[in-house]
Amino acid sequence: MNPAISALLFYLFALAALVSAIGVIVLRNPVSSALSLALCFGFVAAIFFNMGAAFLGITQIIVYAGAILVLFLFIIMMLDVKSEDHTSGLLRHSVVGVLVAGMLAGMISSAALRLPGAVGGSCPWHAFTESLCSELCPAAASTDPSASELQASISAPAPYGGALPTLDPAKRGADAKLLGQNLFSHYNLTLVILGFALLAGCVGAVSVGRRLRRD
Amino acid sequence: MTPLSHYLIFSGILFAIGFAGTMIRRNVLVVLMCLELMLTAANVSLVGFSRAQGLEGVPVYDAQTLALFIMAIAAAEVAVGLALIVAMFRARRGVESSSLNTLKD
Repeated sequence: MNPAISALLFYLFALAALVSAIGVIVLRNPVSSALSLALCFGFVAAIFFNMGAAFLGITQIIVYAGAILVLFLFIIMMLDVKSEDHTSGLLRHSVVGVLVAGMLAGMISSAALRLPGAVGGSCPWHAFTESLCSELCPAAASTDPSASELQASISAPAPYGGALPTLDPAKRGADAKLLGQNLFSHYNLTLVILGFALLAGCVGAVSVGRRLRRD
Repeated sequence: MTPLSHYLIFSGILFAIGFAGTMIRRNVLVVLMCLELMLTAANVSLVGFSRAQGLEGVPVYDAQTLALFIMAIAAAEVAVGLALIVAMFRARRGVESSSLNTLKD
């Protein structure tokens, strides 16, 4: 795809995802919140497709929008949840919550803009370690060619600046295959443990949710 | 075209919205939804890093595997969380977090 169109689509989907995410916490009816969350997950899945992670995008739609959201809607239907009314102290809560979340977002954004190799800023920690290393071992850094080579390889900027590396169009279709190869070779034991975690979650949900007998 | 930092900023803002929701909302169901939002934001940044570290047109699949694990754990978490909410509704006749005040008084 044309990179300009791809970038435009990313910004469009990101804006839509953020708006529907705000809808989750602003809407008072829990059913509206759940539907807004489904919309948000759909847009995030579109962003995954845009980034070339097709399998994760499909999984996002099937697992989140298909399974988890339906579970949420079932529980809302079962419990007959009323929409939240204006309770006292909600405004104070909202102001504090928005302030803390805004500070968190600003912190993450400034850290993202200062990634090593990123445009318009460099990592302060990176410069600090570099100066410290040259202070501690100036002789080794200047005389030993292998050491200076090593240092150059360490302090080379990571590929975090500029545009993301383009994907090989021939390998785009093999996304699920490559992910599965990685999953079943390097992370096989982790996958088995994950299966046990799902089993434990299943048993836990049944044991917590069952109705206790009175006797 | 899009640098990695824009993906990370998007993920950070999405995480912050979820975080604000867990603090502001009283309805425990909506708090659980906001937790899901935060996990999804983490997935976005993982996929972004997998693209940025990729070589020869292939992303690093370790990060995407981790994102897949996060999705599976999120499914288990929602199952247990919703069972807890049903149990809480039986005990308290409501899903407001303000009704959970046994330790307070």
